[in-house]
Amino acid sequence: MQLVAENDANAFAVLYERHTNVAFSLAFRMCGKRAIAEEVIQEAFLSMWRSGARYDRTRGSVRTWVLGIVHNRAIDALRRGTVHDRGRVSDEGIEERLQAPDRTDLEVGRRDEAREIRQALDELPAEQSHVIELAYYGGFTHSEIATMLDTPIGTIKGRMRLGLQKLRSQLDPAEMLG
Amino acid sequence: MSPIDPPECERRLQDAAPYVLGALSERECESYREHLAGCAECAGEVAALQAAADSLALAVTPIQTPAQVRARVMSVVDGEAELLRAAGHEADRPPRVHARWRAWLTPALTAGATLAAGLAIGAIALGGGSGAGTRTQTIQAAVSMPGYRASAELRMAGSHVELVVAHMPAPPLGRIYEVWLERGTHAPQPTDALFSVTSSGSGSVVVPGDLAGVSRVLVTSEPLGGSLKPTRPPVIVAPM
Repeated sequence: MQLVAENDANAFAVLYERHTNVAFSLAFRMCGKRAIAEEVIQEAFLSMWRSGARYDRTRGSVRTWVLGIVHNRAIDALRRGTVHDRGRVSDEGIEERLQAPDRTDLEVGRRDEAREIRQALDELPAEQSHVIELAYYGGFTHSEIATMLDTPIGTIKGRMRLGLQKLRSQLDPAEMLG
Repeated sequence: MSPIDPPECERRLQDAAPYVLGALSERECESYREHLAGCAECAGEVAALQAAADSLALAVTPIQTPAQVRARVMSVVDGEAELLRAAGHEADRPPRVHARWRAWLTPALTAGATLAAGLAIGAIALGGGSGAGTRTQTIQAAVSMPGYRASAELRMAGSHVELVVAHMPAPPLGRIYEVWLERGTHAPQPTDALFSVTSSGSGSVVVPGDLAGVSRVLVTSEPLGGSLKPTRPPVIVAPM
């Protein structure tokens, strides 16, 4: 990251290669459109290139930093109204066509990791996992979710909090995000 | 850092979960960030929930990024890295003439049929502030937006120059408007002024950099992130 901060394009290419698939996967899950997901990660990686010096290793791994930027950009795209049917995967079949092959141990590891987190999410009470998914993948604000579910905002916030606390207790974040 | 009263903190503590999930509005998020700077309890709650929220990014089915994205990203990165390297030694070197660019400009600005109805080239109006304050000068720009009644003007007050547009269509999908500075016959120089417009077609952007010797301010639509050389003919040309 030091080299990226010093505007080393080769170092940035390594950063891109290492994190692009997981970044695109997240953007596609959120936006549901391949073209929009491509725009999101393009914007996100260019913003990383131009702000590489802002990465602070004390606040988490590079992967967390990358995914945080992608998540924010995807939320911006969702809230700009670029994407309709938020939270739905609408380019039918694209996941199968673009699915990353299990060619390396790293890819196998990532697939297992994804399965483990999905399982933990599935084990949450439905009302908690629902609000978490609407917020994180759908880009909806807590007040939009409250309106959508006809539920008080305080209840929505409480479900989010309880769900995240349970998720944390089921997973080992240190291991996952290192 | 101002002290936070307990009821306020208790109320704001509930915002920690929506904050880490990205479920606060932009304004709420900004306000909460300010609150976090002065509230250890809320900061602790955010830290406790953040890792669980971050893990959600990894729960999605892994898919491959299409190869063309890498090409687009790295072409911008390589170009900018080159420019930064070059700026170290040759920042003062005059840019070379860009023949292709000039070839675009001529037809774009002389083909009257393709210009917007409200076109006005180089009409300079001196408005407001001729008294003790800074004198404001307004320059109407030529806009090439067939089918739109788009208009653009430069508002200059001292060294502050702002480009204000109205009734402009949004840039095409995957592109953004970029401001360029042209000096005489030299190739247009990119700026970091990238902008889009609101749903009503209005927008404004500060024209950055040293404007000494600038003969025209140009706007093109470029790939997101901007370009180092224009890839499309200008849609706005403002004479200085």
